[in-house]
Amino acid sequence: MTARIARWSLLLLTIVLLALWWPLLKELLFEYRYGKTDLFYSPVIERFVYKELLGEGHAFIYRDQDANDYDRQTFETLIPFIYYKNMELWGKLPLQLAGQSFDKAQIQAERQVLELKPGELPGHAPRIQLFPLLEANPGRARLRFPEDILRPSEQLTFINSDHNRIDPELTTRFTEALSEAGFVWPVQATFGRVSILKAFDAGFFLLDRAGQLFQLRRVDGLPEITPVPLPEGLEVRHVKVAENKRGDSLGLILGEDGRLFLLGQADGRRTAAGLTPLALPGYDAETMALKILFNPLHRTAIYANQRQIKAVAMNRAFEPIARYERRMAMGEPRLVDRVWQALVPFSLDLRDPNGRYLRLSLDVHALAALPASAVALLLAWLLLWRRGLRFLAMTPSLLLVAFTGVYGLIAVGLIPPEPSDRAGAGDLGRTALEPGAT
Amino acid sequence: MRAAMLSAIFLKEWLKVRWVWLGLLVLHLGMLLYLLLAIRHQFRVEHSEMIWYWAFELRRLLYAPIQYLPLLTGVLIAIAQFGPEMLGGRFRLSLHLPLRADLLVWSWVGFGALMGALLALLDAVALYWIIAGWFPHEAAVSALLTALPWLLGGWIGYFGATLALLEPAAPRRLIYLGLSAAFLALLYQHRGYQEYDQVLPVLIALALLFIPAVILPAHRYRHQR
Repeated sequence: MTARIARWSLLLLTIVLLALWWPLLKELLFEYRYGKTDLFYSPVIERFVYKELLGEGHAFIYRDQDANDYDRQTFETLIPFIYYKNMELWGKLPLQLAGQSFDKAQIQAERQVLELKPGELPGHAPRIQLFPLLEANPGRARLRFPEDILRPSEQLTFINSDHNRIDPELTTRFTEALSEAGFVWPVQATFGRVSILKAFDAGFFLLDRAGQLFQLRRVDGLPEITPVPLPEGLEVRHVKVAENKRGDSLGLILGEDGRLFLLGQADGRRTAAGLTPLALPGYDAETMALKILFNPLHRTAIYANQRQIKAVAMNRAFEPIARYERRMAMGEPRLVDRVWQALVPFSLDLRDPNGRYLRLSLDVHALAALPASAVALLLAWLLLWRRGLRFLAMTPSLLLVAFTGVYGLIAVGLIPPEPSDRAGAGDLGRTALEPGAT
Repeated sequence: MRAAMLSAIFLKEWLKVRWVWLGLLVLHLGMLLYLLLAIRHQFRVEHSEMIWYWAFELRRLLYAPIQYLPLLTGVLIAIAQFGPEMLGGRFRLSLHLPLRADLLVWSWVGFGALMGALLALLDAVALYWIIAGWFPHEAAVSALLTALPWLLGGWIGYFGATLALLEPAAPRRLIYLGLSAAFLALLYQHRGYQEYDQVLPVLIALALLFIPAVILPAHRYRHQR
């Protein structure tokens, strides 16, 4: 009996490992060569334009939403704020658009990209909850990391990195300041951008137990706390902090209900101001990567999962002026995907395209794999019959193949029933001294 | 009678693995000492806040040098235990002890796994202690969680090598080695810390299948023609 359990343990192990490696093997052999479509709103033709890779080699297409094709240079002239350095090289600056003139300095001053990827969301990636609170007024050209780190929990604990010890003075000073500002302990979540390679430091945004959001900065060594005015009923899921030179926003705020807001900046003071709602139909932060492109005329929100790409072009006041969506080339079902799915009834994905955690997600395509499973069943029967098994003895193995298809066939082929199983001979479940044992 | 038999078995297993185990203990202590000195060196030559930035933001694993140590340990313990058994048909003699043969095999692998677990425990405690010396508590806990798949690698290495060593047929040995390698490769897919937190319980459950599985090669050995 134990030998049978042993064999079935190995069969199960083999099948699960095959199901895990199957998608990894496909990714290795048939990866997407270029990835997502590059989609833009052209201020020249006031249409959406995109660049996609079709087929092998460098088979890029440059196309607008009305299916007009362009060569690469013409395409770049349709989005001159993106390729403004090429425009300069080709003598096309200053640009004349919408009755206005834009030189290089104006374009540079108005350009900005805000990004929010699913992998950045809380719960999508492990994060040690320790954060360096930079000095926002360093009195020098560059920001630098402090010699302490912030542990936001029941209080704001500062730990000195040289001695790996709590700094009681800083801890008390910052904790008291936050308490006086009306913070309801403990800290529920902390959001910020940990980098010294940024225009300035906006500090961290701390969510309290009551759902209030506070901006915490260290200015000349002292705490500076700014409550963030949240719209009624908004529960904060995530704050994407993006310090930039443009000076009118600090990033994005995502609500638990999926609503997205631009987090305003108070007149270049680097502290949080009001929120501007962004109307992005069909946006799902859990699965879609978002980019907001700023240029002197428009703001374009582009968001895509692995199949669909959507875009909303807005004016400077973030009022929608045009929308577009399409299935990307990488979203079109490929022959290899169909063949891959038709070979096996299910697979186990270890990698999550929307996060850093390794997870097991079951992808069932039993119907598509029915013919392959039937062939696998037939081959398994043949294999077991050739090994001399009677129908009753081979039934459990056949049932396994019926449910697991090619995986089961491979597993049964690698670990077939033992001769002793067929003959009903001895097992390891007895001592060598007992009758029947070898 | 059975207790006496089991203690005799454990004594025999200890005699088989003691030198390899003591050698591994020295190797583990040496690697942990190296890790301690390497991290100390980092903190001597670099700003502490920058190292914390690498660890927390850039997700560099300063303790990665020990990642294959449990795997090596598992394989070597299995070789020390079952390598000599497979020479000159000694394994057949061992199977003739007056104890259920499956219990006999499980008591052998139980002893081997325990020897590996002791070294794994040493690694875990030392890793926490070393990291907690230069980093806050959270980082030390994170290091432990990050190292858990590597410790599981020791388990897979031990059972994979045991399966291959006890197996009498060469092609089947390759199958067991292939299965174990396929499992092991899943345990080293990380790009940063704690990425296995969610999937690890499933992988551990899967790894437990090796316990019943190890009976099959012994069964095949006993019934080989």
